[in-house]
Amino acid sequence: MSEDLRRALQRIHGPDELEAERRAWAMVRSSFEEREPLTWQQRNRRPLLLAAAVLVVLLLALISSPGRALVGSVHDAVTSDEAPPPKPALTALPAPGQLLVNSSTGPWIVQQDGSMRKLGPWWEASWSPNALHVAVTRAHRLAALTPDGTIRWSLARNRLLRGARWSLEPPAQCCRIAYLNGRELRVVAGDGTGDAPLRNVVGSTPPAWRPGSVRQLAFSTVDGRIELVDTDSTKTVWRTNPGEVPTQLVWSEDGERLLALSDRTLRAFDANGRKLWSIGLPVGPSGVVFVRKSHRFVLIRYSPATSRSDLVLYQAEADPGEARFLYSAPGDFGTLAISPNGEWLLVGWVNANQFLFLRLTSAKVEAVSNIVQQFGGKASAPLTSSFPKSVSWCCPASP
Amino acid sequence: MVGPGRQERSWIRGAQGGSASDLEALFKEHWPRAHRAAYLVVQDGAAAEDIAQEAFLSAIRNLDRFDRKRPFGPWLHRIVVNRAIDWARARSLRREISERPGSEDFDTGDLGTFSDGVAAGLASLSAEHRAVIVLRYLLEYTPAEIAELLDLPRGTVNSRLRRGLDRLETIMDRESA
Repeated sequence: MSEDLRRALQRIHGPDELEAERRAWAMVRSSFEEREPLTWQQRNRRPLLLAAAVLVVLLLALISSPGRALVGSVHDAVTSDEAPPPKPALTALPAPGQLLVNSSTGPWIVQQDGSMRKLGPWWEASWSPNALHVAVTRAHRLAALTPDGTIRWSLARNRLLRGARWSLEPPAQCCRIAYLNGRELRVVAGDGTGDAPLRNVVGSTPPAWRPGSVRQLAFSTVDGRIELVDTDSTKTVWRTNPGEVPTQLVWSEDGERLLALSDRTLRAFDANGRKLWSIGLPVGPSGVVFVRKSHRFVLIRYSPATSRSDLVLYQAEADPGEARFLYSAPGDFGTLAISPNGEWLLVGWVNANQFLFLRLTSAKVEAVSNIVQQFGGKASAPLTSSFPKSVSWCCPASP
Repeated sequence: MVGPGRQERSWIRGAQGGSASDLEALFKEHWPRAHRAAYLVVQDGAAAEDIAQEAFLSAIRNLDRFDRKRPFGPWLHRIVVNRAIDWARARSLRREISERPGSEDFDTGDLGTFSDGVAAGLASLSAEHRAVIVLRYLLEYTPAEIAELLDLPRGTVNSRLRRGLDRLETIMDRESA
């Protein structure tokens, strides 16, 4: 059996194997040509710096043991282990607006009075400006729906479609939807016409339209650069240096700041693509959301040492500022959303199967439990895979 | 896992120095098995291509930090197979709400009933079981090496191999009958 199995596995071919190899090599080569090889000094700088850093830490530990206590006391003063008693069901939202919840069973819309509607068997959804429509994807299909689930139009492409994002222009003008067709970035008009490729090979990050600037779209490249493109002329407005490919690109509401969140780093850029700063992140779940009408933002920071997640407030200015702890809990925080009036922060607390609503202007916290079950998931499924992946809270008033 | 051959070390050194031809040699050496391994685990052509591509792009991004004394294959296969398992798990969750099955038919050409039976058998296994079968019988790692690649206890690998093979035999017997 073993030898026969070995031979049989070696004979099974994927579809289009040679073409796949040709496409992959073109992409790998293109990424390779854009990189800058390190010099010997650069390649060996890290071990030397690491050795020096270890030495300094050892010396500091010997002469300054109270340092650790100081860090501990600051953390203890602003975090709490006590979760509020949760409500068993999401009966109302604490602020006006509607939620679009991407759950494991598909997207759902939640009204302020707590009523919920499932949009259908789609995998991912995002709001149009003012929540008049929803862009949805499933496998090879992209569609625009009205909030009651009616399909206005749809199109199909050859690769897996995802990351559909509606441009943020006023509804009087025609909007556009940017989306990923495998690794190809495409744009289609809001009425489903004029679908066309914008870039052939891009990073896996969902694109992000720049607020307040007509038709400028940020996306990542395969080597982790962030590029801003004018979707009318298809010309690059600016492009950053390479880095880690982000999982999330998030604009501030005024379109003057852009955050690129990756597994290990968070980079902040100004409106001209200049890097303001970059901070390292521990491995673990993360997420980021801007506070309304502000360059301050909330970051999920996971601590592998304590298996806790913190919500931390920074600013996207020349200096990130001192971290301000907002909330802390054991386990993973999975999603963040700010209410349209800017007063409430929704936090998905995965391990507790809860949505937390934190009032940013006071210390008030409200919790709702049984989130997976309320969005059609099975109680027996692991929470890490069944808890909603993202939530957006629509819609802020126009700036 | 034995160390890399002289030829491979030379390709890696050349690619680190900026040689596209050395990179191409490395790519051509490793792409077919990486792509096929991803395909056998996820059973979706487009996804397998994305997964293998992404693994190579990750290799390019980390090329300067790569230790030439380590073999390239296991490092690449660890990324490919773990991503393939994650993808297949995510798809199985989505399939709960999907109307059509997501898997494709394997192309076994005119290779006869054994390959057809293996393809059918593989399709009936979970992604985790497919992964250990593929690592053992396509990529030819030992159970200890598979345990290291997948970050699993050795006993788990052995039991997945045993159950996977039993299941394959059952399906193939049924197919041939």
